[in-house]
Amino acid sequence: MMQSNKGATSMEVEEAVPSETKVVSKPNFKPLKAHEISDGQVQFRKISVPKHRYTPLKKAWMDIYTPIYDQMMVDIRMNVKTRNVELMTRRDTPDVSNLQKCADFVHAFMLGFDVIDAVALLRMDELYVDSFEIKDVKTLKGEHLSRAIGRLSGKGGKTKFAIENSTKTRIVIADTKIHILGSFANIKVARDSLCSLILGSPAGKVYSKLRAVTARLAERF
Amino acid sequence: MVATPSAGVEALHRLKLTEPLMYLTPSSELATAARIASEHLFASLKPYTPKSPFDRLLVDEKFDAEQIWQQIDLQSQPLISAIRRQVNKFEKDPQELKDIFKSGESDQEQKRELVLEGEKEEDSDEEDDELDDESNEEEDEDEDEMEEDESGDGEREHKERGGVGVEDKFLNIQEMKEFMEDDEAREYGVNKKKQVMKKITRKFGEDDEEEDDDEDDDDDDDELGVLELAGEEDMSDAEDARYEDFFTSTKKRDQSKKPKVSEKVEDIDISNEEETEDSDTGDEDNDGMGSDDEMKTDNLSTHEKQLLEQRAKIEEVERENLEAKSWTMQGEVNATKRPKNSALEVDLDWERNAKPPPVITEEVSQSIEELIMKRISEGHFDDVQKAPSLPSKAPREMKELDENQSKKGLGEIYADEYAQKTGLVSQALSFSDEQKKEASLLFKKLCLKLDALSHFHFTPKPVIEDMSIQTNVPALAMEEIAPLAVSDAAMLAPEEVFSGKGDIKEEAELTQEDRKRRRAHKKRKFKAENAKRIAKKPRENTETAADGNEES
Repeated sequence: MMQSNKGATSMEVEEAVPSETKVVSKPNFKPLKAHEISDGQVQFRKISVPKHRYTPLKKAWMDIYTPIYDQMMVDIRMNVKTRNVELMTRRDTPDVSNLQKCADFVHAFMLGFDVIDAVALLRMDELYVDSFEIKDVKTLKGEHLSRAIGRLSGKGGKTKFAIENSTKTRIVIADTKIHILGSFANIKVARDSLCSLILGSPAGKVYSKLRAVTARLAERF
Repeated sequence: MVATPSAGVEALHRLKLTEPLMYLTPSSELATAARIASEHLFASLKPYTPKSPFDRLLVDEKFDAEQIWQQIDLQSQPLISAIRRQVNKFEKDPQELKDIFKSGESDQEQKRELVLEGEKEEDSDEEDDELDDESNEEEDEDEDEMEEDESGDGEREHKERGGVGVEDKFLNIQEMKEFMEDDEAREYGVNKKKQVMKKITRKFGEDDEEEDDDEDDDDDDDELGVLELAGEEDMSDAEDARYEDFFTSTKKRDQSKKPKVSEKVEDIDISNEEETEDSDTGDEDNDGMGSDDEMKTDNLSTHEKQLLEQRAKIEEVERENLEAKSWTMQGEVNATKRPKNSALEVDLDWERNAKPPPVITEEVSQSIEELIMKRISEGHFDDVQKAPSLPSKAPREMKELDENQSKKGLGEIYADEYAQKTGLVSQALSFSDEQKKEASLLFKKLCLKLDALSHFHFTPKPVIEDMSIQTNVPALAMEEIAPLAVSDAAMLAPEEVFSGKGDIKEEAELTQEDRKRRRAHKKRKFKAENAKRIAKKPRENTETAADGNEES
């Protein structure tokens, strides 16, 4: 290829400068290790633990620790004094993104997601966590706010579960904050349903919309 | 001061002798003479005015001219009307006059007396003129007419008692003739009569032509009689009679005469008619008939009367139109817009669209109950039955929303999904899906066959998508036993048959621009082809250069 190109260029240029340089092959570098990226320095992540997640963290510590340390090759420790979970790259951490994934995983746990749900973050790249507040959607105060929260979850949480099951997402409603874990499109669908619930539409309406949407989503595959 | 009659007459004479110019300058002598004369006249006329409030005319020096005149007027007005009445009466019935004045006296004497009376009135008129000039002209005219009429009456009296054999005390040919003339005059217009009168007065001097009137015995034919009169007027030539003489209105022939004249004559005519109609009734109030319209209508022709009626009607209708309509004609009217209780007076009738409520009688209720009982026993009700809807397509399977918390974790769900997508795990379709598909396929095939048997409801073949090569073959070739309704839906689609390229329009359909375009396109193509050929040719021409040149 290069020769033909060269030939073409030589045709255009009247007097081709005799190329002294030889044909150089593109350099092929191996991917950098985590250590080498930052010139040998260690990468660090710190995730603070809110009060209400302290005890669940203690309970589920091993479930968190095992996949991080064994599968992701990232060091993890709990700084009790500062109440932080700290993550550190080791020398044999394969990928830079591992650290970030672990950090996201821990962060998701801190937001309130279950370990089994949060572990999906470790496995798949395309999963995200989207958070928003109720007041972003509509300004509600006092009783209205309480009613809106009630509408979101439904009786015994059935509305929330319905949304979760149909859109393959996980939803955490923490007082006025709402967190959604899932793939991008699914997050969107779940968010739309939640917003319509906040704005006041009855659950039945949301269900019918969900059905239509999920059918469409399922048909695609 | 009371003056003797002789003094009064003397004063009158003196006044008569003075020149008119002397009257212009006021002189006390003339004034006293005038007073004496007027007093005398008043006294002489007094016996004929029973209702006068004055015994004698008060003419002292202190009395104003106006006052004296008023007194005279008070006396003379009723006197004049009385005299007029008398004259009319005598005109109708001269016999009475004779009786009053004793049959022995000659007509001349009668005439003289009448003339004298007329003179007296003339003098009195002069007196009045002295005192007050203006208002006596009318009376003057009246007096003149009266004179004429009186003389006419005198003439009439001449004609009486023609003395023919037929006549007796009941039948008087002359009277009959006069009556006929009057009638004709009424029928055809006043002028006839007037002309007759004029003619008669003219001939007053000439006694020769009196006999012509006597000769006229033909009373049956009105027109002839009229003709006769007209002919006399026009030198006794009957052929000169014209249409206008018979059928024109009074106005056209009245131009020369003064309107008052006609009035007076009509007065007399009417009074004559009335006299003849009600022969022995007393004096009618001829003067009371001041309405000229009534007199005129009697003398109009039938056509004129019709016209008048029409005009009256038209006026009435116009008046109605201009006025505001009555409430009955005003469309929608509330109680406030019409007078109180006015609806009671008007006959109200309007169409009522609603059916009148049924009168419930024993029989009606009986019949209804019988019907109900019969229906119940039969069980025949009029319930609305829902039409059964055929299920055209299978009900879509509804994916149920799981409202329970999912057992699987999110990661597992995604893992399963991934495995399914990539095909690591065998795609185990749910049992129901497989069977459902097979069942629906079989059912569709069956439906097609059944529809083909019945020609009424045509349904095309179901579209079973599968990859197969279609040939554009007519349907008849595919199926030998073909039902009437056969579709070639399985054949090539139109877009597969014709892609839309190439000349779509026919030669005949092309417009000028289209033709130009086609030609240009052809030329371009040809040029392109030629260029290609020429481009190819140099390779060949390298071998046979000369040939190429020759060819090109």
